[in-house]
Amino acid sequence: MTSRFEEEIGLIKKAVVDFWEGHRSNLAIVSDPFYGESELMDRVEGMAGMEGARIDARSIFSSFEALEKAPGRIVMVEEVHRLYCRNIGGFDTLIRFLEMMSSSDRLFITTWNSVSWRYLDEVLGLGRYFSKKVSLPKMGADEIRDMLISGYDEGELTFVEEVSNRGDEPRILHRRNIKKSLMGRSLDVPVPVVEIRSIRSRMTKNEKKSPEDIFFEKLARISDGNPGVAEHLWEEALDYPKVMDRLRDPPSIDLGRDDSFALSIILSMGSLNLGEISEVLKPHHLSAERIVGSLEEQRLIHIEGDVVSVSPDALKGVMGHLGRLRLVW
Amino acid sequence: MAENLTQAYSNLSASTPSGGATGVSTSISSGISTDIPKLGIDSSALINAIMVLVLAYLATRIVVFLLTWSSERVYEHRITVKMAIPLAKFAIYGFAVYHILGSVLELSTTQLVAFSGLVGAAIGFGLKDLVAEVVGGIVIVLDKPYQVGDKVRIDGHYGEVRDIGLRATRLVSPDDSLISVSNQKVLSQILANANAGSQEMMVVIDLFIDSRSDASRAMEILRESAVTSRYVYISERRPVTILLKDFPFYRRVRAKAYVYDLRDEFQFESDVTGRAWEAFVAEGIEPPKAGVLNTGDWSVED
Repeated sequence: MTSRFEEEIGLIKKAVVDFWEGHRSNLAIVSDPFYGESELMDRVEGMAGMEGARIDARSIFSSFEALEKAPGRIVMVEEVHRLYCRNIGGFDTLIRFLEMMSSSDRLFITTWNSVSWRYLDEVLGLGRYFSKKVSLPKMGADEIRDMLISGYDEGELTFVEEVSNRGDEPRILHRRNIKKSLMGRSLDVPVPVVEIRSIRSRMTKNEKKSPEDIFFEKLARISDGNPGVAEHLWEEALDYPKVMDRLRDPPSIDLGRDDSFALSIILSMGSLNLGEISEVLKPHHLSAERIVGSLEEQRLIHIEGDVVSVSPDALKGVMGHLGRLRLVW
Repeated sequence: MAENLTQAYSNLSASTPSGGATGVSTSISSGISTDIPKLGIDSSALINAIMVLVLAYLATRIVVFLLTWSSERVYEHRITVKMAIPLAKFAIYGFAVYHILGSVLELSTTQLVAFSGLVGAAIGFGLKDLVAEVVGGIVIVLDKPYQVGDKVRIDGHYGEVRDIGLRATRLVSPDDSLISVSNQKVLSQILANANAGSQEMMVVIDLFIDSRSDASRAMEILRESAVTSRYVYISERRPVTILLKDFPFYRRVRAKAYVYDLRDEFQFESDVTGRAWEAFVAEGIEPPKAGVLNTGDWSVED
């Protein structure tokens, strides 16, 4: 199995070596949700050895002293975006952390949610606190293939094409019902939809590709190169020893502004509990319970116990929708 | 040339049912020879011309509907798409007029010149205002002092540009009134465009506090209220700015921030103001005292 994050590990190693030589460059590792940055931090922790202290940002909230008194000269703080909350007074802990980090003589290696990073960069000028920023890159089809099937023998898995790939091509134009509310009633409105997948398959039908190639190209496209999403979709498709092509493009999202704002808050944190969502939405006179219920109904979020996170299947669609509305930058 | 024009009048009037008009023109043209062919304006040509205009009207409605619908689908490029609406309208009507003159009425170059003379005379006598408005519309579309979707102030009226028509520009005011301003008048007025084609727009929010309140904390709170609003848009070129100004008996804390969709201008202002005041009250920041001039408190402190 090809090791992920080789390039990023190289950059982090260089920052650590420079630190021991007397040049301190605090590091920000920025990624979309589900990118597996904790796996990267495992390796950084191993690299730091006895001089490293690994802290979850959530623990800083309850006890800032835990950070100040952390042993070791290399401090690894995970999910630093959890130190802010999008309301008045919600930046105090994060600002305190940034100021402490700037005045410290220790090396800080931190991970951030990319959506929060971009927001905080505009609000607090976050980039000025970190001289080095590492963005985890998207994975291509071949890298995803290496990541997912390197543990299997050649020929062990059978890739089963979906019916439409075997000749019965899907129509370019078809009808789809979208839900609209009119005078308090939910209506199914039929709209014509152009099937991009069909156009793409017609344009590339002369190229003979194996079902495996087709599957991984599709997986890379639908997951948008996000390894966590790709892994999730792989688990859904794997029916050992068969790999069923059940991949579908995420549906288009039709949400109101308030629901979209709540979704942007969940996306920017990765996951939140209902109380935390309510803390942000309440000053805006929005009901967290109602919105979370509505988002779950549309399968945009996933609720496990009290923890709400964006559904991996919907991540690409959610980011596209919120980007169009300019709720995330 | 005079003969040609006279003959054109004669031919035009010959095809009209008005006996009086025919009589006059016949007497004028009786001694003048001409080589302008007869105009083909009969009832079928007239019906065709009307049909072309009706089709142009329907086509305009359909194009406007499709562009408006698609502009809402590509949310981030809404105003760019809407820019095409007036262009499309002028193009469709322009093509319709060209088609009527060229294909339906089948005017030759000479007839077209004669017709232009007639049109010129008509404009000079009675239609000059209408033509000035249409020309004004064309100038607005080409020069783009504003576009459909922009928020503008024209002649003291503030609102969102809903339509740039052939004759007038229509605005929708914040209280949902439809205001029509002649295109000709727009060009001669001082015009303020709040967003100049961008979807985001700067909103200025003023809060007034008592001089003895903590102004630094008030600025921090207003800033946080603006950057945490669900309507805000921030980028390097669209920063949030907080300003403080001292007046004799109160202070003004001003936020300049961008709303991501100009249609939410007032919701943004209300959201920031409401949450900032809740925090002001919680932190003991007070509004200016009513009647502060009479209490004399300020002079005692001096």
